[in-house]
This record gives sequence, C-alpha cells and structure tokens, in this order.
Amino acid sequence: MKLENKTLNVAGKKTQLTVLGEGPPLLYLHSAGGETEPIAFHKKLAEKHTVYLPAHPGFALSEGLDQIEDIGDLAWHYVDLIQMLELEDVPVVSYSLGSWIASEVKLLRPRLIGPTVMIAAAGLHLEGAPMAELFIDEFDDLRKLLFFDPESQEAKDYFPSDTNDPRILMWLRAREATARVGWNPYLHNPKLKNHLHRLDSPVQLIWGRQDKLIPAAHGEYYAEHLPNARLIELEECGHMVPYEKTQEAAEIALDFLATENA
Amino acid sequence: MKFFAFHLMPWDRLPDDFEQNYKTAWTWLPNEIFDPQHGGELYNNYLDQLVLADELGFDGVCVNEHHQNAYGTMPSPNLMASILARQTKNCKIAVVGNAIPFYDPPTRCAEEFAMIDCISGGRLIAGLVVGGGPEYYSFSKNPTFAREMYREAFDLIMRAWTEPGPFEHYGKHWKLKYVNPWPRPIQQPHPPIWIPGAGSRETIQFVAERRFAYMGIPYFHMDFFQRNFDMFRDACEKCDYTADPEQLGWLLPIYTAETDEQAWAEYEPHLWYFVKKLLKGLVVFPPGYTSARSIAGIQKGLQQFMSTCETREDIEAGGYAIVGSPDTVRQKLSERIKKLGVGNLLGLFQLGTLPHDLTCKSMKLFAEKVMPGLREELNATVGG
Repeated sequence: MKLENKTLNVAGKKTQLTVLGEGPPLLYLHSAGGETEPIAFHKKLAEKHTVYLPAHPGFALSEGLDQIEDIGDLAWHYVDLIQMLELEDVPVVSYSLGSWIASEVKLLRPRLIGPTVMIAAAGLHLEGAPMAELFIDEFDDLRKLLFFDPESQEAKDYFPSDTNDPRILMWLRAREATARVGWNPYLHNPKLKNHLHRLDSPVQLIWGRQDKLIPAAHGEYYAEHLPNARLIELEECGHMVPYEKTQEAAEIALDFLATENA
Repeated sequence: MKFFAFHLMPWDRLPDDFEQNYKTAWTWLPNEIFDPQHGGELYNNYLDQLVLADELGFDGVCVNEHHQNAYGTMPSPNLMASILARQTKNCKIAVVGNAIPFYDPPTRCAEEFAMIDCISGGRLIAGLVVGGGPEYYSFSKNPTFAREMYREAFDLIMRAWTEPGPFEHYGKHWKLKYVNPWPRPIQQPHPPIWIPGAGSRETIQFVAERRFAYMGIPYFHMDFFQRNFDMFRDACEKCDYTADPEQLGWLLPIYTAETDEQAWAEYEPHLWYFVKKLLKGLVVFPPGYTSARSIAGIQKGLQQFMSTCETREDIEAGGYAIVGSPDTVRQKLSERIKKLGVGNLLGLFQLGTLPHDLTCKSMKLFAEKVMPGLREELNATVGG
C-alpha cells in the first residue's frame, strides 16, 4: 500500500501529514486519542481512497498549538489545510473530536467538505446524556470508559499502561491539545446545535451503542437534527469504534461514500 | 528565623470506608459529607488556633486557598485573613496564596489583599499561586492556559499596586478599560510576596529574578526540599545576589508533646488520617498544567511524596513530619533548618482529626519550649 509522510507548513504551523493508499481523495480527521499513524481502519479506507491523515496541531509531530485557542481556531486551520491540498467537496471520515472539527469546518466553508462520516462525534451538550470525564489520569479507568471490552487485546495494545510507556510523551501531548479546545465548554460548542440545520450535505453517523464517553443519545440527536443524516448503531461497541469494529465501520463508511459519490 | 502557624482547615469526618470506596478527597468527593453545623464549629476552632498562635508569639499565621475538597475547606482565605486581621495583634498574616487565574478579574485579589493589609495595619504577606491541579477541574478552568493566565494576572496585580490608576489593561485573558483599585495597601510599594513551588525550574527562576520568597510545597522527602532550595539559591546567584534565608520557607507537619512516646501515641492516628485520606487525589496533573516533558521528572519526585509512607519509620526517615518531645523536635528542626538554609518555618499543627485541645497543647509546647531556643540558636546561623 502506498504510504507517504509529509510535513506541511500550514499558515506557520508545522503539520504532520500521512498519505495512504490510492484512489479518490478522502480526508480523515482523528480523535482525541491521536490515531495519527495508520491503523487497520485507515488501511481499510485506503483500499478504495487516497487517505489524507493529518495530525491536528499539538498532536504527534504537528506544532502550532500556541496559535490555537478554541475549536474555531482549529477549524480555520483545516480550512487552510484543505485549501493547501487543493481539495474541494472532499469526502471526510471523522472520529470523535475529528467529527466536531468536521462540523465546524463545514460551517465556515461549506464547499470544502463533501459527504461526511461521523463516528462517535463530539460537539454537542445534551441534557440527560452527559459526556463522561476524559481527562483522568488512570489508564485502567480510561480503558473501561472507552472500550466495550476493556480486557480485549485492542484495548490493551492501544493504551499505555503506565507513565513508563514510551508512548507517554505523545499521549500527554494529545491530551493537552484536546484540552486546549475541549476543556471548557467540555468537548462541545454550545452554538453548534443552532447550526445543525445548515449542515446539509449527506452524513453517515456511526455509534457504538455502549459508548460511555459520548452516549449514543448524541448520535440520535445528530441524526434527528442534521437535514441529511442517517445513523447506524453498532452492538457490543463502546467509544472506540474504529478499533472495536474495524471491518464493519470501514465497510459502512466506504459503502456510504460510494453511494454518495456515485 | 521566623515561625509561622500554617492552616489548611481540613475536614475531619471522612467516612470510615473512605479509602476503600472513594477515589479522592478532591473535586468528585460528594459534598453531602460536609456537615455545615459541624463545619461552623471547625472553622471557629481553627480560627481560635490561629489567634492562639499570635498570642503565643508566632511571627505569623498562614491561610491558603482550596476548592471543592476535604483537604482544605478554605475556598476564600481572604475571608479568614480578614477575621484574623482584626483578631490578631502582632503576627504577620500570610495568605499562601490566592489562586489568581481564578480571580475574575485578578484585580479583585489586589483589592482584597489591600483591604487586609489596611485592616491589619500592614501585616499582610501576599501569596500568589497558580492554583492546584484539582482546582482546574473544580472550576472547569482550562489548565492549558494556567501558566500564561498566572503570569498575566501576576503582572496586572503588581501594576495595580504600584502604578497610579486608572490605567488600561488589554491582556490575552483579561481586558480592562479601568484599573484603579481602591483601597491601596499600607505596605509600599506592595506587601511582601511569597510564591510556593514544587520544584518547577520555571517557578524558581521567576521568584529568584524578582527577589520574592519561595515556599517549599510540603509533604516531600527532605532530599527533595534540599534539591529545590539549592536550585533556588543557585538561581539567585545567577541573578547576581545571594538569597536571604527569609526568601525560603519550609512547610511541614509538627507535633510536640511531653515525651517522644506520648507525642507519637497522641499524634499517629491523626497523621495517618491526613496521609491516607486527605492527601488522596491531591496530586493530579490536568493536561497542559505542567509541560509534558516535566511530568516524567515530577513522577520521579512523587516517589518521595508523603503518601508513599506506610510506617512511622518512613515518616521519620524522610523528615515528612517532626514529632516528639520539645527536645527532640528542637534538635531535629535545628539540624534540618541549618541544612536546608531556610529562614521561615511553616508548621502545620492541625491536620484534620487532631482534637482541638491537643492541637493547642502542641502549639503551646512548641511556642514555649521549642521556639525560643531555636530562635536564639538559628538567628546566629541562618539569619535573623
């Protein structure tokens, strides 16, 4: 599979970009977990698409967090990046924090982003369906929060088990970059609800029914209030959809994009 | 050599099953556990203890700020300091400190501190702090901006005290068309500044450059304090001056009774209540509060933190608390103060469940049988 690592200068921000596979372009916007190195889920998408996998400012080797103060700044960064890649109406697969960014970019520049897959999307605050605390120190508790089966091999492989893990520096960087835009208001934009009717391109929502971080009620709200969205909820699945349901979620995403691009 | 009585105003009635069933004494500890009626009695006892410190001849009393926790139930140290400004006569009143990123705008701190300084006749010591990790959860304040908010608030407060108002402040975090606080402090150009630190080089540099005083954050092993205080002295030398011992403060739990044996017998269960219950959850690092790179160093330091202690021997070996007869306490303190080179000793005499009468007894013994001798001895060596 074709794989290329680039470093871009996006309006003064050094940005890590991985390009994977071949075919029509697809932009992948990653989650707070910082899946910035190709994982199995990306590789599935790359069987049909050229997947652009940028790391958000402050994640992996991307810099420029000092220029980011809120989700709006992050969205403008992606306006710059998408224009730099000369993409337009580009299909997007996005996950959690990445889905929130996708919504915000779409509001700023509707024509940059095309059909969008939103997996376990952040961005909303719903009375009665609070998001759990992501910014805790205990890895075991985090694993239980995020995975349907915290004892599974994926859960163990994906998470550092303690602060001696060599991945910890990148982990801490990702946490800080997430907190920068997601500490308060907590992982949401209070104004986003009022904008949902303006997000009128096709959206495929995918949710783990047992998502404890962002309850499935958020997916149902998005599905109800986005003008052109449908929702698939996956059984025996928590927040970590691309890890827990790699094959299934990738197939849903690819089918949706094939239909919408046809 | 100066002696201060430091108070956290801790909660003394955590459930028996606390260690098994509660993850922390902070942020998420249900506030149903706080009984207001009993809280009122505690606050009054605690204030009495600090007033007693003044009567006993302590050089100062210290209060501090924490939020939504059982470790220190003093969300507004300025309220307590203003009571003490009236009820004490001679001692310094050190507020260590106000967590200034949480004061909106931070000129509130400049105003309230000035009030306390006026009421007390110029006895305020102004502590200015970033706020603890848990407080960034309690206030939902973005910790990734903690340090820059602190610096902006700090500079603003200093200007508010020293520059004639009104003036404008257009910073990143606060935009103020008119900065013009009434009242102004008696002490000019401003009250003495104390800044606590846990070893971050950045803080040490900041305090050394401005010739303020650096207070060692407590509950660490002696060796950890030694490293930090040495680092501070080096930083002062690099700024072309030699640190005055009064620029350094050391805070630790102290208990004095008639004999060593009696001291341990009276004190030990209360010490463990503090170590095992109240310290639980104190040390958290919300994202960005400390740089990712320095976390590794701090994690190492935490292996020398008091909550790792399991036995009396661990406590004594690490110098985490000084417990014993007046002779023992005096001898240990003398040796360590000389070694650390500190000019301020901040004694924590109440740490939760210790009964009021025992707290007062220990403070009296300390003031009458430890302090005078130490003062005499150390003024000759560590500085007056």
